[in-house]
Amino acid sequence: METTNQRRALQDAMVFLGAIASGTEQAIGESANNISYLAGVNLGKKLSDGVARTDDIQQALDSTREVLEKNDYLWLFEPFKTHDQESVVQESEEGTQVMLVFRDCMIRQSLFRFGHIQKGSLCNMMYGFFAGALQNIMGRESSLEIVHAGENACYKKLTVRRAP
Amino acid sequence: MSLEINVHEQSCRGCELCIDICPTKVFELDEDKRLCVVKHAEDCIACLSCAYICPSNAISHTDYHAVKNFYRDAEFCQRMGKFL
Ligand code: SF4
Ligand code: SF4
Repeated sequence: METTNQRRALQDAMVFLGAIASGTEQAIGESANNISYLAGVNLGKKLSDGVARTDDIQQALDSTREVLEKNDYLWLFEPFKTHDQESVVQESEEGTQVMLVFRDCMIRQSLFRFGHIQKGSLCNMMYGFFAGALQNIMGRESSLEIVHAGENACYKKLTVRRAP
Repeated sequence: MSLEINVHEQSCRGCELCIDICPTKVFELDEDKRLCVVKHAEDCIACLSCAYICPSNAISHTDYHAVKNFYRDAEFCQRMGKFL
């Protein structure tokens, strides 16, 4: 029963947030992305406060996932590699990269409920969340690019920049 | 759980929409038959975009994680009416 109520509360809050984000995008355009990005950064920093620091990206991702699970956020992800990749973690000029698959996502699920489009400001909040959490856990800048926003899962590229 | 993808040969019209939309390059075009074929099912992330976009409804997946979409709560929607 508790779970049903929690899920109901989450849905109501997310649908509300989805509506606000959609309205804000219409009213102020691009800046809506910055606002939700910053909200995500703050959330990521707050929730990951006290998490052990590491330089290992896989361990940092495990900790980020744990933080989300512990706080009952329906925002779970898993690292993914295609058949032609040797390893989940790839080094590139921009930094260390990992592809992530997001399956159950409270943002996508709330956007679809009322027909709002994906890749908008709420999706940017997720980018911010990772940036904030990884800043705390790894002490590094990162970006989370939406490679594909699908109906049942999204595919994103996480890049953690090298330490300056 | 081992995901499987099936393209119904008789339905496929070779439009390549699934090839274009797939983020992990699961499909390939069989040039002779002018049909799309599954080349790397193991790379599928089950986003289901190919199944949604296929104009012939030719693509089906089995054994994948289906997300639980949020339900529509009539009472809540009424209250939300002013925002939407
Ligand atoms: S989208 Fe459908 S009809 Fe078009 S190539 Fe793919 S399977 Fe065939
Ligand atoms: S479900 Fe997504 S990843 Fe899988 S084959 Fe279709 S488009 Fe590609």
